[in-house]
Amino acid sequence: MLFSGITFLYYFLPLFLLVYFLTPKQFRNGVLLTASLIFYAWKEPQNVIWLILLALAGYGFGLGLAWLRGSRQSRRLLVLSVCICAAPLVFFKYADFFISGFHAVTGWPLPYISQTLPAGISFYTFQMIGYLADVYRGEAAAQKNPVRFAAYAAMFPQLIAGPIVRYTDIALQLSCRTLGFDRAASGIERFVVGLAKKVLLADVLGELCAKFQASDDRSVLFYWLYAAAFTLRIYFDFSGYSDMAIGLGRLLGFDFKENFNYPYISRSITEFWRRWHISLGSWFRDYVYIPLGGNRVSLGRWLGNVSLVWILTGFWHGASWNFIVWGLFFALLLIAEKCFLRKYLERHPIVSHLYVLFFVIVGFVIFQAGDLGEAVRYLRAMFGAGGLSLVSEEFLYAIRSYGMVLLLAAAASTPLGKAVLASVKRKEKGEQLIHLAEPAAAAVLLLLSTAYLVDGSFSPFLYFRF
Amino acid sequence: MQAEKKNRVLTIGMAVLLFVLSVCCWLKKADAYSASERRALAQCPRLTADAVWSGSFMDAFDDYAADQFPFRDRFRSGKAAAVTGLFAQKDYNGLYMEDGYICRMEYPLKEEMLKNTADHISRLYERYMKDTDVSVYISVVPDKNYFLARKHGALSMNYDALTGILYSSVMETVENCEYIDLFPLLSIEDYYRTDAHWRQEKLTDVAAALAEAMGTAVCADYEVMKLEQPFYGVYYGQLALPAEPDTICYLTSSALKNCTVTGYGTGKAKPLELYDLKKAEGRDAYELFLSGSQPFIIIERADADTQKELVLFRDSFGSSLAPLLVEGYKKITVVDTRYLSPELLGDLLTFGDQDVLFLYSTTLVNNSLSLR
Repeated sequence: MLFSGITFLYYFLPLFLLVYFLTPKQFRNGVLLTASLIFYAWKEPQNVIWLILLALAGYGFGLGLAWLRGSRQSRRLLVLSVCICAAPLVFFKYADFFISGFHAVTGWPLPYISQTLPAGISFYTFQMIGYLADVYRGEAAAQKNPVRFAAYAAMFPQLIAGPIVRYTDIALQLSCRTLGFDRAASGIERFVVGLAKKVLLADVLGELCAKFQASDDRSVLFYWLYAAAFTLRIYFDFSGYSDMAIGLGRLLGFDFKENFNYPYISRSITEFWRRWHISLGSWFRDYVYIPLGGNRVSLGRWLGNVSLVWILTGFWHGASWNFIVWGLFFALLLIAEKCFLRKYLERHPIVSHLYVLFFVIVGFVIFQAGDLGEAVRYLRAMFGAGGLSLVSEEFLYAIRSYGMVLLLAAAASTPLGKAVLASVKRKEKGEQLIHLAEPAAAAVLLLLSTAYLVDGSFSPFLYFRF
Repeated sequence: MQAEKKNRVLTIGMAVLLFVLSVCCWLKKADAYSASERRALAQCPRLTADAVWSGSFMDAFDDYAADQFPFRDRFRSGKAAAVTGLFAQKDYNGLYMEDGYICRMEYPLKEEMLKNTADHISRLYERYMKDTDVSVYISVVPDKNYFLARKHGALSMNYDALTGILYSSVMETVENCEYIDLFPLLSIEDYYRTDAHWRQEKLTDVAAALAEAMGTAVCADYEVMKLEQPFYGVYYGQLALPAEPDTICYLTSSALKNCTVTGYGTGKAKPLELYDLKKAEGRDAYELFLSGSQPFIIIERADADTQKELVLFRDSFGSSLAPLLVEGYKKITVVDTRYLSPELLGDLLTFGDQDVLFLYSTTLVNNSLSLR
């Protein structure tokens, strides 16, 4: 089910909230679990079995790891449990990639798996692996209550597109959650802001991207406009989903950590990755990079660690060479910054902003391409090697038609709005004014988003496919 | 307002909004048809185990939920206002409003569609007209975007290229075909504000020019009749922005009153009206003209002082124009090959020395898959 769909907003959510809050506290995890399974099964009834099996496996292995903690077998059990938990992900997401590679190398034709990727499998698999690693390392106690555990594993607010919620972050809240008007209000506001980001900005920018892709009148600047629009779109799409997840979590009594922090204002790629998809970055840092030795190793080993982590990060996004190249592209930039670029960037703030935006946009062109060949074609066209004119009629029309949306999106991707609100608050009666405006603004955003959804076409979140 | 009070107001207010709309969703009786969008609305799917397991129930329910949302038309208007106002987008679903006229952005020019139209005309000519004495004419009706695109800053086709490609492609097979240029005779005022079509009462010049080019003459002495009810054209509901409705007028004369109209929609002859006032009260008042979508119609005039006959291959623009050509001919055969297979044309019509006019709108020639 889509957060940004009428079915979710006006059929599922009100019914769920009604049942959830009318149910005694000790049974709420059961309600949450049931709702989560319905939520997941809505679009993919056949794939809900993988979620259930993974939750069962995680529960059992968690107890096993806790029982064997400190013994020699615990490491073996961890490896086994991680392999078993990752098996569906590898099968669904990567099998065809490896079969294709095998065929390319040996020439032996193996049949492709050709299975649809279960939505969100990369997210909930990583969540499970993180839980098992935490239990193994003694950083988390294994959850003994199966309903509580399953509610964590399948929790619908963040099930399909993150953020990747650490078990340790919400372990206490699984057994005891506080609720109140302050939490509810901030949760609702956050959810509505996320919905508006997705529906009013990301989907509209998506229209622009679709028009570019359908166009026979491309030009160099149209390519750049497309790349910029996609860069903004993916931010509002993904951060919008994260906002909705965080907001819903807050409404239900959970505190999920932030997943985005205005990444496009970064002054280095290192900073960008501290602000973009924070939960994935910190997952790779804590469960891959640091266990490999992090930066407390020789230069050669460190280079290897960074490259491996970023190849895996790229590969996590998709089983395609363009994702691997995308990961390596950022690895190179991060290594360059660590070795020599950082000092220069720190001294030149404007250049550093432009540098980040340029490489992030180029990175997303590689990311978005269907394959590596397409990425190369797009990049060639952007840099004038495609034999295209600088401008075209459709580019000019796109600027005229989407200029305001692009400007609004660019402004909304910075803390400008936050700063304006803060300055209004500082003025006399400013805070009161904001308190008056907030409920009205939330209602308007919900109604406007609804209007877009009522008259819109199906538009899944970009990160569903990961 | 204190923060605590604000949180209370926000939570309760949003909960009320959500739950009220939710209850409306659950309780609202499903509408079968959207008059503004002129389409059937999705209905609640049947709940079966197979439908749930395959996911088709959920897909159909999502469509139903969006289509049957309470106050749907108002929400659509709200979206249109936000798109064109707040976000200053130049079009909404390809439609825009300029000078009070709602216009579809017909773009881009599709050469393969023009070739398809030309091939269609050529096939008809080769099959039925090649060894006859017919005189073939082609004319194209510009869509509203031709007049408004530049002012609005919308994308627009190269209309010279459109007519050039169409005519030259037809000329490859059809000998002595003549192109009658209507573009200079028309302006945006000749079209309805809320609909794609042209206004019949503004077409007397066009009819006269066509008649003259085909070697006949029509009079311009008509009585203008006006429908009382306002006309909300096809674009009105699609754009969903407030707009003044149109008024439909139709032209009549003694010659028009005396002609007989026969339709052959089902293969059997059925009497029709030049102006079907019952249709004018239906979903699309423009169907007043020649009863709307009709594959094959014969208009005959017993008291004609000419023996000339016209075969008019047309789309819906031809419905309002055909009556204005009546005075120049004894018999007009109106053919719409979107609804009539060319295979069957020979059973209904014999070609001899008629004038044959292919009159299509730019919208149809540029999207000609519906031509059979």
